[in-house]
Amino acid sequence: MEFRDYYKVLGVERAATADQIKTAYRRLARKYHPDVSKEPNAEARFKEMQEAYEVLKDPEKRAAYNQLGADWKAGEQFRPPPDWGSGFEFSGGAGRPGGARGAGRTGRSRAGAGQDGAFQDQDFSDFFSSLFGGGTPFASAGRGAGRDHHARVGIELEEAYRGTTRTLELRRPEVKPDGSVELRTHTVRVTIPAGVTEGQLIRLAGQGEPPSGAGQAGDLYLEVHLEGHRLFQLEGRDVTLTFPVAPWEAALGAPVTVPTLGGTVEMHIPAGAQSGQKLRLRGRGLPGQPAGDQYLQLKVVLPPANTPQAKALYEEMRSQLNFDPRANLSR
Amino acid sequence: MVTHRLEAHVLGEGDWIAATEICQLCSLDLGAVMELAELGVVAPREIPPGQWQIPATALPRLRVVGRLIQDLGVNVSGAALALELLEAQRELERRIRSLERLASDH
Repeated sequence: MEFRDYYKVLGVERAATADQIKTAYRRLARKYHPDVSKEPNAEARFKEMQEAYEVLKDPEKRAAYNQLGADWKAGEQFRPPPDWGSGFEFSGGAGRPGGARGAGRTGRSRAGAGQDGAFQDQDFSDFFSSLFGGGTPFASAGRGAGRDHHARVGIELEEAYRGTTRTLELRRPEVKPDGSVELRTHTVRVTIPAGVTEGQLIRLAGQGEPPSGAGQAGDLYLEVHLEGHRLFQLEGRDVTLTFPVAPWEAALGAPVTVPTLGGTVEMHIPAGAQSGQKLRLRGRGLPGQPAGDQYLQLKVVLPPANTPQAKALYEEMRSQLNFDPRANLSR
Repeated sequence: MVTHRLEAHVLGEGDWIAATEICQLCSLDLGAVMELAELGVVAPREIPPGQWQIPATALPRLRVVGRLIQDLGVNVSGAALALELLEAQRELERRIRSLERLASDH
């Protein structure tokens, strides 16, 4: 695994005070927070910062991290020393729940690979896990009921319309007979029903952290993220399609074939339609109670006057129609 | 490797969630949830008396508020204001994209 320079990530000196570290984190978090940032790779950067801050804000973890020495460079191949964690006294409960892909009850950094487009929460690096995760003296212990885990799952709009499935790899810490802890991977296939919307939570009961001793396992929550679409724009359950029409279709009315999330439908453009006008296809948005609608935003597209015939037709319209598109400017 | 098949329960319209559970899901404390109710961000109901429930449809907004409070160190009213401004920004961006599609050649 690669060494991570947490001081460099936060842009502070190794001698920085706790306040300086907090200030640096806050400043960077404001810039890269995925809810507010437009920066490229904001989510990945934010995750790095969270991991660095998780270590540097905690005096015990920071002291242990510092003990690795100042000579390491970010990206260098790294293995934890054999006596890692010895010689420290621990206040207990300061660590993350064991495992690289586990999430605390309140942890939410939304990055890291799952499978099939799923992203699991608080997915700190292998470097972090090897130093501070399950099986290390820094991991919390003796909790009873398992905690909830959170993950993010990306879904195409068509999948949200018709429902879909996702295969997720879940990594859980398990105590071996000799008392040591290892991460075990198990795979679950989740059926996601039709009609999920952006930000919605999907609960998978009992798929979170296993209990330590008595108590119930936590739940796994998947937060839905709908991917952008080439044709449709989504707002709630409604979808909007910019729909090009010829001038004669707009002027005279015309039957047209319209793509929807559920396949094509036939409809009639009313005579006298204008560019920018919206037409509604009721119930053709995302399913739900009630289902969303699909809107067509008409866009009148002019044929180019690039042939003698086309020019002649435009000339004829000019001479015959007596049309002034700027009539209301002279009032 | 064994693959388990799971049915998902979507927390959506018609679901009401206990305020204590909302606190866990959104990294908020109960006081913050009540303050958000006073600010109009969420409309809870009290069933039975003394036990508050929140509509599941409010979860996405409350989770953003929870993240802003925890990650950026803003207070509840600041996070609520940021949420409204972010939503207004997204709506404007959506309208701009829509107009750009209308104005584009393709």
